[in-house]
Amino acid sequence: MLNSCTTKYPISIKVSASLIVTALTLLCISVALAHGVDANTQKFLQANQGVAIGPFMYIGAKHMLTGYDHLLFLLGVIFFLFRTRDILIYVSLFTLGHSLTLFFGVLENISVNAYLIDAIIGLSVVYKGFDNLGGFQRLFARQPNTKVAVLIFGLFHGMGLATKLQDFDLPEHDLWKNLLAFNIGVEIGQFLALFFILIFLNLWRRFNCYFSFAVATNTLLMAAGLVLFGYQMIGYVLST
Amino acid sequence: MNEVNIPVQSLKTLIISMISALILAFLILVVFIGPAEYGIDPTGLGKKLGLTVLAKPLAENVKRAVSCPTGEQAAGWQDIVQITIPARSGLEYKFYLQKNAQITYVWSSDNEALYFDFHGEPAGDKSGYFKSYRETTANASEGDLTAPFTGTHGWYWKNDTNKTIQVTLKTKGQYKIKGLI
Repeated sequence: MLNSCTTKYPISIKVSASLIVTALTLLCISVALAHGVDANTQKFLQANQGVAIGPFMYIGAKHMLTGYDHLLFLLGVIFFLFRTRDILIYVSLFTLGHSLTLFFGVLENISVNAYLIDAIIGLSVVYKGFDNLGGFQRLFARQPNTKVAVLIFGLFHGMGLATKLQDFDLPEHDLWKNLLAFNIGVEIGQFLALFFILIFLNLWRRFNCYFSFAVATNTLLMAAGLVLFGYQMIGYVLST
Repeated sequence: MNEVNIPVQSLKTLIISMISALILAFLILVVFIGPAEYGIDPTGLGKKLGLTVLAKPLAENVKRAVSCPTGEQAAGWQDIVQITIPARSGLEYKFYLQKNAQITYVWSSDNEALYFDFHGEPAGDKSGYFKSYRETTANASEGDLTAPFTGTHGWYWKNDTNKTIQVTLKTKGQYKIKGLI
């Protein structure tokens, strides 16, 4: 049943193939854009003083929606989640993880090298692709707890967000309000992203070849993660 | 323990998949990202695709953006500088002035009018505060300024056209050139 792509749904191969090509093209384009903050946002963050709920929420949402590293990881996480309950649990764990480090990172002024943290985020994508292929069970005969893994990688993703925000010497006064706004924005962005990813996945899951293309998709996911990792590591080496 | 069932792929599939991911990632890094982001182009393909332009080191761009015309040291001016503002981008050229120090200036664009913001930022200020002295769209401007505070003072020009614009800026006064920022 799993491999009945060719006979039952001949069109789905074409669809899936073109989806993959599109995804790859998008990846190439988006990697070329720096995943930081654009010039206008930068100007705002540097000039802003005091509480600005709206703008910070917007920046948070935008950061999530344009952050291909976060989106790729989310795609990997929900790739094999079919029940709404599971999706909610995993996404909540991811949210918990990144909110914790975002808050503590910024409030306690813990800063990590942006290249290194983004490299780890790249690795989180590789991990998820590998995991989705059953790599851990096949090669190591055991499966690491996927919930704990999502939480831990969530912590790293939040650290990445914190590092980017800290570049701006945000005013200390009422900082937590702005942070909260930013975080809520991130969650809104994540919700919107999930919404579209799920529509896309549910559409795709109607074709039987979802499972046969799972290998190709997760291979691409690993490749994308490795690209992000390499991109950040070269940056790190050149910057030191 | 895990209620989520992930289909475990065969060892062969897994290895093929890992190797393809590595090769694909390596190719994208070497052919596209290396040249475009860092100017590292081992295959030479990046240059053929024109990607290496994106990764010109900042210093190089700066050098090309500013040139000091010689033989044009018009009477009375201390410094003359020609600033190249690429199409669809903006840049800043700044001077450091003590409080109450003066700067007299005249600048003109070789072509179209462009948006500019003549402003100052207090030294040591980290909040991002700045004070605008003049902000409008024009192809030339002149005047003098007595610095209201110690810090950097200068222009932000924004070129919204599709052609590069040359701005010639002549200045005199009690200042230190900070240059392009």
